[in-house]
Amino acid sequence: MTEIRIDVVVRGPVEVVVIAGSVDGATAPSLVAAFRQRVGEGRIRIVGDFAGVDYISSAGLRALLETVKEARQRGGDLRLAAVQPDVRRVLDLAGFSGILKLYANVEEAVASFPGTGA
Amino acid sequence: MGTETRVEVAARVESLATVRAFVENACRRAGADAESCFDLKLAVDEACTNIIEHGYAGRPDGTITVSCDATDDTLRVTILDHGRSFTPGSVAPADVDSDWEDRPVGGLGWHFILNSVDAVDYVPDPAGNRLILTKRSRK
Repeated sequence: MTEIRIDVVVRGPVEVVVIAGSVDGATAPSLVAAFRQRVGEGRIRIVGDFAGVDYISSAGLRALLETVKEARQRGGDLRLAAVQPDVRRVLDLAGFSGILKLYANVEEAVASFPGTGA
Repeated sequence: MGTETRVEVAARVESLATVRAFVENACRRAGADAESCFDLKLAVDEACTNIIEHGYAGRPDGTITVSCDATDDTLRVTILDHGRSFTPGSVAPADVDSDWEDRPVGGLGWHFILNSVDAVDYVPDPAGNRLILTKRSRK
C-alpha cells in the first residue's frame, strides 16, 4: 500500500502543502481532497512542496491541473517547489512544465506571490 | 539467458505500489539504470491503472498478473488481465500543448505508456488481455 503524508504550513497569505511519498491512483485522492479544501475555502495561493515526492503518475497530474485551473480562475495559483528530477521528467512528458510555475525551493515559491513581503 | 519473475495482484489501486516495487526489483536484478527503471515503473503503473479503472471498471474480484523477463539490455514486462478488452487505436492523442485554460484534465495515461518504453504490444486472446512493454536499458 502506498503511503503519502500531507501537511499544511501557513506562510502569511500562502498555504504550503507539504507532500511526502508517491502520488499514484491510490494516493492522489488524498491530495485532491487537500487541494479542494483550500480552494473551496478561498485559500487560493498555494505552494506544493514536492521535495519529498519520489513518484507521480497521471493520477497525480490530474490533481495538479484541476487545482491550477480552479485556483487561477479565482485569481490565485498553485505553484510547485523543489520538484525532484524523476518527477520533473513526468511533468515535462505531460507538457506541464509550461503550465505550472516551478521554483527551486519553498522560499522562492512563497515569495513569488504578491503580499509575502519579498 | 533471461530470468522471469511474476506477481499477481488484486485489481485495485492499492496494489499499484506492490506492482511498482516488483518492477523496481526486477530492474535492479537486471542491472538497469535508474532512469530506465523509473520510466518502466511509470508505464506499468499507468497500464495497471487503466486496467483497474476501465478494464475491470471497478469490479472488485479482478486480478492482474505482471511478469518481467530480463535479458542483457532489455526488460520486457507482460501484464495480463481478464477485464474488458481494449483497442489501443481508439485512444485519442493526449493534449500536451494547450494553455492551462484549454488543457483537459486527464487522458495522459496512454501517452505516458507510449513515451516511457521502447515498444508497446497488445495481444487480446481468450486467456486474457496481454500488454507487453519493452524497455531497453541504457546502463
